[in-house]
Amino acid sequence: MNESTTVIGERTTINGNLEGDEDLVVHGRIEGGISLKHTLTIEPTGVVVAEVQVRNAVVSGVMAGNITAEDAVHITAQGRMIGDIRAPRVIIVDGASFRGRVDMGDLDMPRASGSAEDVSRPAPVAARRVPQAISTGKGAVQEKDAEKAVAPKPAVKPKPAAKRKPASKPKPAAKSRSTKKQSAPAKSKSKPKKGGSKKKAPAPKAPSVGRRKKARKR
Amino acid sequence: MAHTVIGGSIVIDGEVTGEEALVIQGTVKGRISLQEQLVVEESGVVEADIETQNVDVSGKVTGNILASEKVEISSGGRMVGDIKAPRILIADGAIFKGNVDMDV
Repeated sequence: MNESTTVIGERTTINGNLEGDEDLVVHGRIEGGISLKHTLTIEPTGVVVAEVQVRNAVVSGVMAGNITAEDAVHITAQGRMIGDIRAPRVIIVDGASFRGRVDMGDLDMPRASGSAEDVSRPAPVAARRVPQAISTGKGAVQEKDAEKAVAPKPAVKPKPAAKRKPASKPKPAAKSRSTKKQSAPAKSKSKPKKGGSKKKAPAPKAPSVGRRKKARKR
Repeated sequence: MAHTVIGGSIVIDGEVTGEEALVIQGTVKGRISLQEQLVVEESGVVEADIETQNVDVSGKVTGNILASEKVEISSGGRMVGDIKAPRILIADGAIFKGNVDMDV
């Protein structure tokens, strides 16, 4: 209808119900109820003590009562509000004061939670897998092994066998060598991890790498 | 122009009080109490008892008016109710039904 705006002046008080199909700007005071199909703006001088149903509400003044908005409720830095807000979008700015409940709607929640779960659950799993591979694969050899294990799935049988062989063989060899070298404790610690191809035991690793390379070639 | 405007699609059911000018393009039911001017524009509908300083009626008013200064019913205005004010103007074309009291 009208694109006009209703203005409640600073020195005007309305006691009762107000409903309409246009914007409402409150510099003054309204007590009772407000039902609008557009935007309610409570200016810094404005005071609204009412049950409010609107499309949008912008609270820069004082609002006491509940707001139900189809779209959004903004509480600006100057805004002070006590009451419950029910709106799909609620914006509370730094400096605003507010006490009450916020309900962004039951309809949107299933979508949001569902999508969040769908996205978030797979994401962490993938994230966990990747970091693990990376972390364990600090040694370049291990990374390569991981890549191979993942990529050439069609030739599954030969590869695991190859892996097992090098893994098992180097350990006893490494142990025997380490014991011989008398640096047994450190090496034994690193060896059981399989990923123990870290700095401490370069000698035992070299043979295992060679074997692994052979296995790869195969 | 710090006055109050009640827009065309607005319906107020209750009491409007103020110390500044009020322009009504919409609908007000209940009571209006001002200390300045009330303007009921052509689209305005007032079903209320009015107490103010000046009233300019171009729309529809149903209710009693008590004005401390002046009531004017313009040519498009329609009013049903009693008017009590020192100065009352009813323009040609205005429709009015009620008592007039100029406190004579």
